[in-house]
Amino acid sequence: MSDTAPRNPVSGPQMLANALLRSVAGTTALLRVTGTSTDTSRSEVGLVATTFADVVVSPVVMRKLRPTWQAGGESKWELLVSATGVEQQVRALDFSSAQALFAMTLAVTVQGQDFLIDSVACNEAFGQAYLYRLLLREARQQAV
Amino acid sequence: MQNAKDSFYMALRTRLAAINPERTVLLRGAVRPGILVEEAEAPFTQLPNDVFVLRWLGLGVDLDLSSAMAAEQCEVLYQTCGTQSFGGLDRGRAMSEMDEELTAMLQPFHTAKTNYTTTTPATMLTQVFWDEPGFAPIVVQRDLLSRSAKVMVYSYQEQGE
Repeated sequence: MSDTAPRNPVSGPQMLANALLRSVAGTTALLRVTGTSTDTSRSEVGLVATTFADVVVSPVVMRKLRPTWQAGGESKWELLVSATGVEQQVRALDFSSAQALFAMTLAVTVQGQDFLIDSVACNEAFGQAYLYRLLLREARQQAV
Repeated sequence: MQNAKDSFYMALRTRLAAINPERTVLLRGAVRPGILVEEAEAPFTQLPNDVFVLRWLGLGVDLDLSSAMAAEQCEVLYQTCGTQSFGGLDRGRAMSEMDEELTAMLQPFHTAKTNYTTTTPATMLTQVFWDEPGFAPIVVQRDLLSRSAKVMVYSYQEQGE
């Protein structure tokens, strides 16, 4: 018997990834994306506060990579992000790609804690991304 | 001292745009000349390739003069993997090109000190000046060539600074 469902036949891995992320208490992450700087020369020397927008992606799951603590070393985390959640935001915000979205991201906020992106990896199946893995480290406290 | 740092960066940025208009970087949604101040951008996990990155290091102040003089050390970092069309085999040439661009950018060794905190940048009374760059040896990391150059940047402290 053939599958006559109207869904995309190669979206199985994406659906499976979403289901897995949700089943392990998937939560929401906020990507703090920098806006386009208009006053170029002043913003380049840190004089004009850049506008920020919080982009919501879900479901996501955090896992700690290094359980031991070292003096001066921030803990590292891996954020598993649903590719469909990212794709929705990429389309909504008219970014060229998910990489462009991550490149514009200044910080990632999960459960009120800020993290900085160290690297981004992508898992693909049938030529489609189904999961993004963001290597994060905790951001230090900034002055108010 | 901040005015001197801003003026130094803006001088190099303007000169780079004239020397090689094709060296650009897309940052925060804007295409701009391929030079940036590290401390005024989001933290980098890896420095961008084919871009000059200014990093401010040491600071010295001479108070035994009629006007206090500040000297700040600026490290200019740059790296390249060459171009895709050459399969990276031109990375040595790309590095030489950046060396020459940096040398050209730094000449003349002075610029007007400007206050960029006002809406319209205001030229100040003194100049910002610097000495010749000290180039460090190239560091090779597989396909990546990187180099840094250090420059001492001097300026007199004006009233109100």
